[in-house]
Amino acid sequence: MRAIVSIATTTVGEAIRRRVLLIILLIGVLFLAVAPGLGVLSARSETTVLRGMMLGIIQLTSAVIAIVLTVYMLPNEIERRTIYTILSKPVMRWQFLVGKYLGAVLALGLMMLLMTAVMVFFFWWQQNRDVTAIPDLLKAPVMYFIQMSLLAALAVFFSTFVAPLVNFFLSGGLYLLGSLFNPFFQTLQENQNTPTLAKGFAWIVNSALPNFANYNIQNPIINPGQTIANESAYYFQVTIYGLLYIGILLVAGIWVFDRREV
Amino acid sequence: MAAAIETKKLTKSYKSRAQGNINVVDSLDLVVEEGEIFGFLGPNGAGKTTTIKMLLGIIYPTSGEGYILGKEIGDMDVHKLISYLPERPYYYDYMTGPELLKFYGSLFGVNDVARFDALLERVNLHRDKDKPISKYSKGMMQRIGLAQSLLNDPKLLFLDEPTSGFDPIARREIRDLILSFRDEGRTVFVTSHELEEVERICDRVCIINRGKIVRQGRLSELLKGTRTEVEIRAASVPAVVSNIAGVTARPVVDGYLLDVPEVVSVNDVVDAIRGASITITKIEPRKLRLEDLYEQAVGNNPGPIGDPGLKKTITVEEETTA
Repeated sequence: MRAIVSIATTTVGEAIRRRVLLIILLIGVLFLAVAPGLGVLSARSETTVLRGMMLGIIQLTSAVIAIVLTVYMLPNEIERRTIYTILSKPVMRWQFLVGKYLGAVLALGLMMLLMTAVMVFFFWWQQNRDVTAIPDLLKAPVMYFIQMSLLAALAVFFSTFVAPLVNFFLSGGLYLLGSLFNPFFQTLQENQNTPTLAKGFAWIVNSALPNFANYNIQNPIINPGQTIANESAYYFQVTIYGLLYIGILLVAGIWVFDRREV
Repeated sequence: MAAAIETKKLTKSYKSRAQGNINVVDSLDLVVEEGEIFGFLGPNGAGKTTTIKMLLGIIYPTSGEGYILGKEIGDMDVHKLISYLPERPYYYDYMTGPELLKFYGSLFGVNDVARFDALLERVNLHRDKDKPISKYSKGMMQRIGLAQSLLNDPKLLFLDEPTSGFDPIARREIRDLILSFRDEGRTVFVTSHELEEVERICDRVCIINRGKIVRQGRLSELLKGTRTEVEIRAASVPAVVSNIAGVTARPVVDGYLLDVPEVVSVNDVVDAIRGASITITKIEPRKLRLEDLYEQAVGNNPGPIGDPGLKKTITVEEETTA
């Protein structure tokens, strides 16, 4: 445990100093800051547009940070030989990988926290210091954090055996697929008229692909008319799903990394 | 004395599409005694770092056995007693020296600020303790590496090219540190291309080439005896000399420098040269050096990548044929 905590802490220290991540974060924060001014350009209710825009900025920025942060993590350690000085000490490979992952998630959490704080501030300011809508708004970043942790686990898993650039497109592609097409495959699977073969294919894709769409809960927040049935149970269920999937990805990553020559 | 390192037929192979199976390390039988400084030498690509990585459990042997301090390689208990300084290491450069030691110390459960300070003083970095590692020079980087390698008070240290590319003063500092490790009873397994340094500090050496051991033993035994250098003024190596086996020739400014080993009669060589009316400009008996031994062992057949710093020895036979 001691080794995992040390590696995780060091990973956070490195991540929050990486210029590329700070630039992405800065761009995200800048967009959040100007978002209240852009709301007037839309024909829809200003508050609705602002909520959608702010949550969209946080989600997109977090996804880019999650991928950039994790795809280079392991290859950099190998290239710079820091991994040798660590693995030659009483540190098991699984401890190293778990420490790196937890550090990445912690750094991501800190960056998301900063963006959420900026979002809340500007939203509160735009709403004339009214705080009633804020608790509802905060549900989305929490769900996004689980989504990004899942995305980070996916990228860490791939980083044990593919090059960073391939990993970037692979993880990013699967994130888009799991976010945008999972509902489509779900519908395809449940539709009575779908041919059996297509149903089977939809079931395979739906089961194997991480369901990132689970965490896209912005619609009920943006449009107060929409609700999630049995909200608490839903959040609990998707949190457990996320944790299980992260666990599976990490175990698979450890299995590959344990056999890999570094 | 017990062996600090022992390998039996340790082999590492890689598959290559062009060449099939390549043995990067080939049936390595090595014994390093406790408390000695052991030099592990060879040209670039000879398999030195691969061997160290196998001994550290970072990569896995294809076949054979290896033991460190009596335990099988890969045993985590052994990792508490050893340390490793890789060639040209990189450390988390946002940290300062004490922060780096705290990080590596935490991997052993060592969190003793006084110890960190003492180690920084030992490697002469105590005055730069507030400086981030990103501002360290190459020599400072190596010294902080040595400090981190001493955190667990190791019995066995693996140092990969510890003095490579340093100025003479930095080299001497690191050499003195390595010698002090032996005085403290530690075993040091060191790889280096700085043969003079190795000759000064090592008790025993092993030279490998293309993954195989080509020389191994106590330096005092390996460097026993003398050789004689005979310098001649000639445009090419005379044929009469080529008939004498064991003599090698190296081109110099005005002619050739013939290297006459102890087993060959210098008189015979001199007679042959004079008989051919060739001028001898110098005859000098010399003690065998590690560089000579290395050249004999690796010679014209260095490892896969080749060592750009290695002087090529032209044998008389080759020259004649050419």
